[in-house]
Formats: sequence, C-alpha cells, structure tokens
Amino acid sequence: MDVENGEGQVQVHLKTKQEHYAVPDVPYAIDGTVTTVELNTFVNALLRQKDGSSDTDFDFLVFDEYLRGRLCDHLREKAISFEDAIEIEYVERFPAPEPQDCLLHDDWVSAVKASGKWILSGCYDNTLNLWTNKGKHILTISGHTAPIKAVDWISLDEETGRFVSTSQDQTAMLWQWNVGSNSVECVSVCKGHERGVDSVSVSPDGLRFATGSWDTMLKVWSAEQEDAAEGSSKRMKESGVRTPKITLQGHRESVSAVQWMDASTLLTGSWDHTLKVWDLSLEGIKTEISTNKSIFDASYSKLNRLILTASADKNLRLYDPRTNQGSVVRNTYLGHNAWVQTVMWSTTEEFLFVSGAYDNQNKLWDCRSPKAPLYDLLGHGEKVLDIDWSNPKYIVSGGVDNTVRVFKSRKALAEDTEAK
Amino acid sequence: MTKKLALKRKGKESEPINKVVASSEASENEEEEEDLLQAVKDPGEDSTDDEGIDQEYHSDSSEELQFESDEEGNYLGRKQSSSAEEDEESSDEDDDGEEESSDEEEVEDEEKDSKLKQSDDKPSSSGAASKKAPTTELSKRDTSKPEYQDSDTSDEEDIRNTVGNIPMHWYDEYKHIGYDWDAKKIIKPPQGDQIDEFLRKIEDPDFWRTVKDPLTGQDVRLTDEDIALIKRIVSGRIPNKDHEEYEPWIEWFTSEVEKMPIKNVPDHKRSFLPSVSEKKRVSRMVHALKMGWMKTTEEVEREKQAKRGPKFYMLWETDTSREHMRRIHDPVSAPKRDLPGHAESYNPPPEYLFDAKETKEWLKLKDEPHKRKLHFMPQKFKSLREVPAYSRYLRERFLRCLDLYLCPRAKRVKLNIDAEYLIPKLPSPRDLQPFPTVESMVYRGHTDLVRSVSVEPKGEYLVSGSDDKTVKIWEIATGRCIRTIETDEVVRCVAWCPNPKLSIIAVATGNRLLLVNPKVGDKVLVKKTDDLLAEAPSQDVIESERIKTAVQWSNAEADEQEKGVRVVITHFKPIRQVTWHGRGDYLATVMPEGANRSALIHQLSKRRSQIPFSKSKGLIQFVLFHPVKPCFFVATQHNIRIYDLVKQELVKKLLTNSKWISGMSIHPKGDNLLVSTYDKKMLWFDLDLSTKPYQTMRLHRNAVRSVAFHLRYPLFASGSDDQAVIVSHGMVYNDLLQNPLIVPLKKLQTHEKRDEFGVLDVNWHPVQPWVFSTGADSTIRLYT
Repeated sequence: MDVENGEGQVQVHLKTKQEHYAVPDVPYAIDGTVTTVELNTFVNALLRQKDGSSDTDFDFLVFDEYLRGRLCDHLREKAISFEDAIEIEYVERFPAPEPQDCLLHDDWVSAVKASGKWILSGCYDNTLNLWTNKGKHILTISGHTAPIKAVDWISLDEETGRFVSTSQDQTAMLWQWNVGSNSVECVSVCKGHERGVDSVSVSPDGLRFATGSWDTMLKVWSAEQEDAAEGSSKRMKESGVRTPKITLQGHRESVSAVQWMDASTLLTGSWDHTLKVWDLSLEGIKTEISTNKSIFDASYSKLNRLILTASADKNLRLYDPRTNQGSVVRNTYLGHNAWVQTVMWSTTEEFLFVSGAYDNQNKLWDCRSPKAPLYDLLGHGEKVLDIDWSNPKYIVSGGVDNTVRVFKSRKALAEDTEAK
Repeated sequence: MTKKLALKRKGKESEPINKVVASSEASENEEEEEDLLQAVKDPGEDSTDDEGIDQEYHSDSSEELQFESDEEGNYLGRKQSSSAEEDEESSDEDDDGEEESSDEEEVEDEEKDSKLKQSDDKPSSSGAASKKAPTTELSKRDTSKPEYQDSDTSDEEDIRNTVGNIPMHWYDEYKHIGYDWDAKKIIKPPQGDQIDEFLRKIEDPDFWRTVKDPLTGQDVRLTDEDIALIKRIVSGRIPNKDHEEYEPWIEWFTSEVEKMPIKNVPDHKRSFLPSVSEKKRVSRMVHALKMGWMKTTEEVEREKQAKRGPKFYMLWETDTSREHMRRIHDPVSAPKRDLPGHAESYNPPPEYLFDAKETKEWLKLKDEPHKRKLHFMPQKFKSLREVPAYSRYLRERFLRCLDLYLCPRAKRVKLNIDAEYLIPKLPSPRDLQPFPTVESMVYRGHTDLVRSVSVEPKGEYLVSGSDDKTVKIWEIATGRCIRTIETDEVVRCVAWCPNPKLSIIAVATGNRLLLVNPKVGDKVLVKKTDDLLAEAPSQDVIESERIKTAVQWSNAEADEQEKGVRVVITHFKPIRQVTWHGRGDYLATVMPEGANRSALIHQLSKRRSQIPFSKSKGLIQFVLFHPVKPCFFVATQHNIRIYDLVKQELVKKLLTNSKWISGMSIHPKGDNLLVSTYDKKMLWFDLDLSTKPYQTMRLHRNAVRSVAFHLRYPLFASGSDDQAVIVSHGMVYNDLLQNPLIVPLKKLQTHEKRDEFGVLDVNWHPVQPWVFSTGADSTIRLYT
C-alpha cells in the first residue's frame, strides 16, 4: 500500500495486545474510506510478511470502539481530528456462535440455566426440565403449581446437582438431583413471598440464594442442605419449608433481577426504574441507581464491574455502580427492535454479553460496539424469555416457542480443546 | 392717603399765596396752581367764590389778631422764658418743613417769588413782625409732640387750632380764629393796614421770609434752615441736607463669587425639590391648555385675527383631504376626470383634427368605443358661438353618475395571519417523557373484537373482555394468557377491582354482572376474597319492588364457580358498562335500555343494590365514581350530571355540546374530567372552572371510543375508530390559578381496522407509563 499524504489520508498506528499477532509499530498512512475488510487484509498482509502465518479475522478498535463503517465516518462521529496519528487496536475476531441444538418443551420456557454439561430449564407448564448439552432430555421435574419464573444452580458435581427454582406460586424450591440414579427430590420449599417470585440468584459460595418477587421484596434464604436456621419449628423442618433469612424492603415495584456481586453484596433491578446494590452484612442499600425505564433484567460482570440492564424501549444500557451520581448511563446498545427481556454478561470474556428480546432474537454484543451487535443469534420463532451464558461454551436461551436453543461458542470450545 | 393729604395741605398752604397773587396780579403759575387745586377738589377751597371770602378774611384777620395778642402774651412770654426761641422755631419749622417738603416746589416757588417780587405789598403786615415772637410762641404746642412726632394722620395735622377742617372764613367776623387745646380762644393777631404792611416791609429786613399761618393767622418768620430747605427742594435736591447723596457704595451683594459663604446655614431641603404647589399650578394650566379653556397669547391673537379678517372656505370638497362618506369606512375617492386637452377645444389646432384615415379608424371602432383614443371627434368652429349643443351631454352625465354610484368605494383589508402564529407554544414532547412511544406487546388470543380491558392494581396482570364471549387474564410482562373464562354472552365490560386487598373482576356479560376471582397474584388474597364472596351477608333491609325487579344477587353455579365466578348479579336489561368505586366496595352498572332504572349502584359487602335515580334524564351512557368525593358522574347522550351521593342532589351539569358521549375518565385528583364523544372530539372539563369544556380536542379522525387518565403520570390516552391511540400530556397543577397544560404527544396507530371499528378501549398500567388498547382486530396491545 502506498504511503501518500493528502486529503482523506489518515495516519494510523496498528497495535494489538495479542503478542503473536504483533506487527511493527510504524505509522501507516491509509485512506479514510477504509473499512474493516480492507484493514483486515492489510493486517494479514503485514503478518504474512512477518512470519507467513495464515489468515485470521480481526476486529478493529478505534478509541475503544469497534470500527463498523468507514474509518472517516467513525472519526467524524467521534470528533477526532484527521491530522492526529490514530491508534487502531486490532483484536482477533470473536468467532460466530453456532446454533447447536433445539430442545423442545411442552410449554413456554421462561428460565434456563446451564452448568457443566447440563441445562436446566423452567417451563410455564410448572415443570423443570434437565437436559444434557447434547440435547438429551434427562428429567422432567414437577412440583410447582404455577409457571416457573427463574432457576439457578447451587452446586454440581459428578454425583449430585443441587438447584433452586422460583415460580409464580410464590415459592422457591430447592432440589437435589442424584445424577447416577437420575432421581430428583425437593429438599425444601421456601415460603415467604406474597406474590410470584420473579428472579433468583445463588451466592458465589453456594450457601445462600436471593429471590426477588412481585411483592417488591428481596429475600435471602439459606441454600444449604440442612437449614441451620434455629428459629424454624420442627414441623417446618420436617415438611422442608424454609423461611427467609433476610427480608429486604426498598423497591416499590416488582424485583425483576437479582444477582450476587460478591459474597455479601446483591444487585437488584426493579420495575420501579431503579437498580439497587444491597449490602447483606448491613442489610441495607449500598448504592441506588435511578434510571428512567423499568428494568426487566440486570447483569453484573465480575470482570469489568459494570451493570447491563434490559428494558422495554429496545435498548440495553450500561451502568457503572461505582459512580454514585444519579443515573449515569455509560452506554446504550441499540439493536433489538422490541422489548428486551433478558441480558447476561459473559463469565469469561470481559467485553462480551448476550441479550434476548421479544423480537425473537438473541444478540451477542461487544460492549465496545454500541451501534451494532457482533452477531445475531437467530433461531427462536417467538419471544425470548431467558438467556444464559454461565457455561462459556454454550449460549442457552428459552422462549415462547417452547424451545431452548443452544448456541456453541466456538472460541470457548477451541480453548477447551487446546487445554485438553 | 398721604398724597391726598399732601394735596390738601398744599391747598391750605397755597391759600394765602393765592390770595396774595390774586390781590396783586395773576400769573401763569397761579392759574396752573388753581387748576391743580380744582382738580384735586379739596373741600377746603372747592369753589372760586371762596377766594373772595378768603381775601376778606385775610384783611379782617389782621385786625383781630392784634387785638387778641395781649391775652396770650403772658402765656407766650412764659413759654419763651423757659425755652429757647430757635429751638422752638426749628421744631416748628420741622413741621412746616415737613409740610412743605411734601408739597410741590411750585408753592415754595411762588412763595418766594411773591415775597421777593411783591415786597411792596407786604410791609402792610410788617407791623405784625414785632409780634412775630409771640405768634410763633403761640403756634408752639409740644405736649403731644413726642407722641405724634412721626405721625402724619389727618387728625393731628394741625393741632394748634382745634376748629377742625372748616372754611376759615367762618371766623371772619370774630376776633378769634378758633380754639386752642385749652379751649381758649385763639385771638387773631392785630391786622395792620396796607401802610403798616408797607412799613413793615421797609423796616423789617426779614419781611421776605415772613409768611402767614392760616390757622392761627399769625406771621411766621422762616428760619435760615427753612430757607435752605426750600432752596434744596427748589433745586431738586433731597430736602434733608444731612443726606449724603454720593456716599461710597457698599457692595452688600457682590457680583464676585465669594470663597466662603455669607451665611453658614445649609440650604433647606425644600430648595432642592421642585415645588409641589407650583407643579400643581403648572399642571392645572397645562390641563387647561389642553382642554382649550386657556389659550396662549398667540392663539388668542390668531382667534382675534380670524374674527376680524375675512373668512374663506372651500365651496366644494377639497382636493387634498379625503372624502367623507356616510356608512362607508375608508372610501376610495372617485376617479378624477382628465383635464380637457387641445382636442376638446372648439378651435383645435389643425393637427388634432382627424384626417380621413383617423376618421375611418374612429368610425370602425363603433362597437368597441372604449378602444378609441378619443371618445369624440375633434371639430373646428370659427367661434364659440357656433358650437352647437352637445347632444350626448345628458347621457354622459348620467353614465358618469352611474359610474360613481356603482364604483366599489370601500377598501377591503384582508387580514393575513400566519397559522403558525396562532398555535400556542407547547413544550417539546421530548421534555415530557416518559410516555409510551412504541408498541411493545400484542396479546393475541381473542377471536372477536375486544371490548374492554382492565389492569390489576399491582400491574402484573390484565383482564380483557371480548365479543367471543370470553374473559381472558393475561400476564403483562410476557403476554401469556393465564386463564380464559367463558361466559354465555358477549362481554361488554370488564373492570378489575381497584382495591389491592381484593381480587375481584367485575364482568358485564349480557344481563349478568359476574364477580370473578381471577386467582392470580397473592394466594392469601385470593383465598380471602373467595371467603368473602362465598357467604351472602344476612339481608336486614327489605328491598323495594322496584329494585327487586331490576336486580337479583345470587351465588354462582358450580360450573361457574369452577371458572372463578363467585357472585352473579342479574339485571333486567343488558349491561353496557361497569365501574368500581375507588375503595372497591361499590360498583355501578349502566343499562342503556333500562329507562329510569338504567344506572344502578351495588354494594358488595352488603349485597345490596340501589337505584339512585327515579327519573330518567336521558339515555345514560356512562357512569363514574369520583375518586375522592362521594360524587357520581352520569353521562347521558349530551350532558354530564354530577350528583352528590350523600346529599342526594345534583351538584353540577356539564354541557358538552356534543351529540353522543362515549366515555369518561376522571383525573385522579378529581378536579378534571375527560370526555370522549362519538363526534370525534375529546373534551377536557375543569370542574372548578366552568360547566363548559376547558378544552376541546379534535385529535382523532373518527369517533373517539375511550379515554383514560394515568393514575400517577400526567398522561392521558384516547382510543378511536381511526385505529389510533393518542397519548397526551395532561398536567394538572396544584396551583389553582394555573390552567391544566395539555400537549398531544404521540399517535400510536398499530391496530388494524375491522368493520369500521378501530380501538375500542384504552387503559393505563397503574404504575408504569404504559398504555393498553383493545381493538376490533381482536388484539390487545401494549405501548411502552
């Protein structure tokens, strides 16, 4: 490529954090109209010169934002001078997830959670279903008397798996699943909420779980095998009924999202337009972020400590809980064209997250690319109600079309094989 | 007064002189003097006759005086001994001098002249000169002097003789001449004859300076001071010789600016302020000037001029000013006729006369005479005498008058108003967020048009009633139909009980009102409600026949119990609408065909019904409970009546001025009412303001079916047959003086048209700014 100076020419430095893709740090003057495709071929050509390695797909970051259109447009939008030397960082492109499986259910799937090679799903026909990630149906568990709204794994090992499910019948149920005998039993029923329980999250140490309900309460329960609560009566112990350890009142509307940030901190999102961070040792609110939309789902990433919210206006919003000055939206991700019901950060990739919306689509996003998602994960024929990416290898989503869709994340798989 | 007095004195003074003059010879001066005296008309010597008498007396008195002198002699002598003569004289002269100084010089003049000239006459009286001293003494009386020294009132003008101001000739025949202060006669001094006079004149060197005092009749010898005084007066100098005329000028008020102020008193505040009284006077004058009551000198002058001079006025309407026409405002003045040119002349120059070609052309345009250059053919006559009468004169006059008469004379001003200008300034919708902007959810499941929708007070569930004879309960967040309750007839209206402690839906289907337990939400609540509705409370009130025939309460049958129906209230006519009171104990139903029993109020806890109205005031369309007060809104086809349920009286009647009301919604604060009508209008009533609409909104293109206020946000929505849901901002301020602010925000048009129907019902989510609409396309839609 010729090095020319003139109109529309931009001087760039190409950089990467991945050592094996490094190119010499020389300023290149390139045309302002280049897109990702041309940059990609250019970088590949440079790499070929260096060590003759094969083609890799790269994505290009200009000032911490993905280059999606032409470079000049991007610069203009960001109000960056054309005369400065622009640093373009290139990263290996995240490979597209592949649709792998479609798990058919009898009714709407409103909750999914993957752990290890198992996928747990909650249905509107009041049942829980266990699947392998290969698409094999293991078990149907009935016990709830109303649609399941949320599920979460407590622990999983070779012999037993323990999980919790919440339902509109105002209870949460603790289940113990014997993998070998493929039998499941209800360890206890958690009663205390006065309306449907919408969300559940198990603490990182697996000893407690928190539920958020339509009665605006946030309750924390023991997740241990034996409820050590001293106050509970014998009869209750025998019947396996549990009462909440902590009840936290503060939201004015339904608590739609609960997530543990660390062992004693909880994040909740509510229909009353607020995100609240609770400190369980103090049993009070630590931080409150007021937004102007009802929050249907919120997700906190341990990797970058940011919060994503899903709301009815098609947008995903990124909040920083560390700033305590009102509602500071760090970024808005517009790509869905309907009510966004669910969102979840990747547990391994710092910048990636997935979302599911009522436009029948899942989307995989990079938080540095607010204009467009990385990939649209098509497959659902109806509204997506829940999405899960807790197993880095699989993106799992359940929807109104009575299916759970499993998407393989190729990168994680590749890393997995490499590790082996 | 003083002047008059002076003249009087002068007259008295001049008397003897006059006589002297008259006796000797007349001079011009004398005549003048006399004129002057006459002009003054002093009563003392008002007539010329007196002159003679005076003269007589003059001659007589001289004798008398002498005779009397002895009498007074001792007195005078005594006086003389006590005081110096000169002193007396000077004091005497002072008096005299005063008199004389105030008099005119002429008197003195004459006196002197006469004395100097006619010294031969005077010796006759010179005999008396010897008795001069006593005479002067006699005149002296100083008892009152210090008191009246400076006085010059007429009372004390001459106090030597107390006879007063009378003609002295009355005493001519007596020896005395009057009375002094001690009431003693003043004896006339002895009067010598002419010879004595002459002798005295010869002998007495002071004769020239001797004058006769008319009051006492004695001779007075003028002192040197007197003479000097007289001389000073004669020469026109200041009589007081001590007065220094040319004394050095002391500049009390110097023109130079002093360094230090003369007075140390600071100026009073008044001196800095404009005077109020002056201002008042000036303003009064200005006002008078303005009103024309007062006129400036120029104006007065001009008026006078105008009155005096010849008057001119326009015989006809002026050329310059505008024509005034009755009843026509701002008329266009009639067009002026052109002035006649050479062609009109009786003897035009030959070049104006038509040649053959022009004549032909002129004649050719006979049909279009207005195209001719000239409307006549110039003709030449030898003299004006030969010009014939103009045959078309009358006709042209008539046409001209016709023109003027038919001419549109008034200017029409077309008012150009920019439509943009008339639109009120409204805030931008962006600033009024949040409000629903997009369709978020479609609840599908009904198979026929959905007539009604209602939301659970907590906002988790939704109930809808449809023409497919079903009631469906939906989960709002997911769009899942949780339950379907089938009924026997078309469901006209559903209403979720607004009390969050109860779990009841009122369903109006056909003639029956079903109270359904939806069995969603709090289980405890559901159970409590079931318990509440299971047992009918004992009826202690016997209901009237009128109510009994209209309404029957009953528990639901077993198959209906299964579906959730708990209580059935059977009406005698199809129910169109049902609405709850805010507490959830009372509910009202409307049966448009029920005549005078078309509106009913049911009490749930007592299972009792009431018919609030005994008379039908029209076809009742819609009823509503006031959110706070015990008021009941009843909409008939045209009007809305507000009743107080406690006092049982009509509170207000709202005039909608529309043909057919379709629905109502009351603001949660209870002061504003929104009414939808089938004639495409929405009416906003401010109940405190007026019985007429505060605002009429014509936002929809077709009949408006339903309106709804949001319970928390300042929003309202309307659904219409044009398939649109229009969301508007309706802010009601706590300040009573501020009118509600109404801003249409968003038109949401996603419903499909089905049989001329669009949106049938709208309702808000109780807490979120979300609106639900039901349509004829058998869907319910959620806009967020």
